[in-house]
Amino acid sequence: MAERYSSFQSGGRMWLLQRITAAFLLVVLAFHFFLLHFVHHADEVSFLASSARMENLSYYSLMILFLVTATFHGVNGVYNALVNQGLTGTKRTVIKWTLVAASTVLIVQGVRTANAWAGIGLY
Amino acid sequence: MSQSYNRGLIEDFSRWREFEAGMWAWIFHKFTGWVLIGYLFTHIAVLSTGIPAAGASEAAIMAGEDVYTQTIVSLESLLLVRLLEVGLLAVAVFHMLNGTRLLLVDLGVGLESQNKSFYASLILTGAITVASVPTFIAGAF
Amino acid sequence: MSTQIPKQTEESSETETDAEVASKGDERRTEKRRRAAEERARRQAEEAEKAAADEDTIELKVFRYDPEVEGKQEPRFDTFHVPFTKGMTVLDALMYSRDNYDSSLTFRHSCRQAVCGSDAMFVNGGQKLACKTQIVELEEPIRVEPLPHAEVEKDLVVDMEHFYDQMEAVEPYFQTNEYPDGELEEQRQTRENREKVKMSTRCIWCGACMSSCNIAAGDNEYLGPAAINKAYRFAMDEREGEEVKQKRLEIIEQEHGVWRCQTQFSCTEVCPKDIPLTEHIQELKREAVKNNLKFW
Repeated sequence: MAERYSSFQSGGRMWLLQRITAAFLLVVLAFHFFLLHFVHHADEVSFLASSARMENLSYYSLMILFLVTATFHGVNGVYNALVNQGLTGTKRTVIKWTLVAASTVLIVQGVRTANAWAGIGLY
Repeated sequence: MSQSYNRGLIEDFSRWREFEAGMWAWIFHKFTGWVLIGYLFTHIAVLSTGIPAAGASEAAIMAGEDVYTQTIVSLESLLLVRLLEVGLLAVAVFHMLNGTRLLLVDLGVGLESQNKSFYASLILTGAITVASVPTFIAGAF
Repeated sequence: MSTQIPKQTEESSETETDAEVASKGDERRTEKRRRAAEERARRQAEEAEKAAADEDTIELKVFRYDPEVEGKQEPRFDTFHVPFTKGMTVLDALMYSRDNYDSSLTFRHSCRQAVCGSDAMFVNGGQKLACKTQIVELEEPIRVEPLPHAEVEKDLVVDMEHFYDQMEAVEPYFQTNEYPDGELEEQRQTRENREKVKMSTRCIWCGACMSSCNIAAGDNEYLGPAAINKAYRFAMDEREGEEVKQKRLEIIEQEHGVWRCQTQFSCTEVCPKDIPLTEHIQELKREAVKNNLKFW
């Protein structure tokens, strides 16, 4: 049976991933806002406090996952919006890879920052 | 048949006034989505001041005189930044609530009341934003 | 009044042909016809005036365009005052205008009872089936335009070819390779299954949904709500069997198939047959995801 459907057609896979990341982000974004605006206050931010949070491994991993899913969800959303506007052909390929490159830069920069706070040497 | 006439702009002749809830929800969701991804990039850019800050002396970090702390504190002292943060909250809350609505629609739940759930997310967004203003503005003056 | 431009062209063409054979009898006949035309025009003008003055008339603003008549190549809106009768629909008002004021007013209609699906139009900013849209439910003046996002052929008539292409693309007919045992056995459908596809079978191919869809407007390859609903009607029909269903899902799942839908609900809002189009599209998305998860 498998030869009829070897894997997801890309449309369906991306659609599903967009929903799964959405459900995840819903929870984590609410937590993020709550922790950094209501529990702690934005004007009391300091390197020391950020660092203390990031040194906790589960917080660190959650934030990395948060960064990756948010980037995917956002960039994929932008890509979908552009495709819906009728983006096709070479233009589409160019924009696709530009978005991939931008996402990579964003994630790398985010991880470096997290590492700097967590005291992980790699940044 | 001779050539036919493409109406161009006349197609959208006062159409926005006729938009239904679902259409507005889509427009707002898209708009807030653009804002949020834009913010994510600036957010990470500002936070990356943490990278050079990590190289500062221990004493400077303890005293909060590193680049990161200084950048955030000076940004937060601006009223404009505080107001933008309230806007960001509104945008994020709407995107989350309407996103929940869309997830339910994807699951086939409550499609008959999709317009009501859109109005509900609008009202709730307003309420949550207004309720958060004191917390967000505190200390800005 | 709206009748002037086509009137003039008609008259001038008449006198031209008549001039070629200028016998006395012809002259007389021409004169007679001219008088009759004048008389008709006068009566029409009178009637229009009376109708405009009368309280129980409705004001109709109709989109006009005709690439073949010089004076009408520039699109415009014509105003018609139609005497209101109880139960009058937009189609009735258009027919009255055509029969009494301007015989060149062009629009499609056939059954006049929401079955043939030929008179979908853009009425007061929404896609409506003219024959089942009551005048009393509309605000005046009533603005009637051809369906948006389709090319206008003439007045309220748009080119439906693209819509039909999309409908054909989903193979809108019953197919199966699973037959019942007996040679003369009927292909029976369970009551439950019939209930499931019931709403989707109501489509009359009017094209209102396609015209209202923001995504279909920007992406010509998108199948559109009507075609996807048609695909749903057969994909969910158990009598077609597993193999045909897989083939149907493949069509639905293309890049420009169900994934394009952004759940704006525009199609569901305008469907004159109350088909829950968005619900059907969403169900097909889930069906496609489930189908793929099985083989992952």
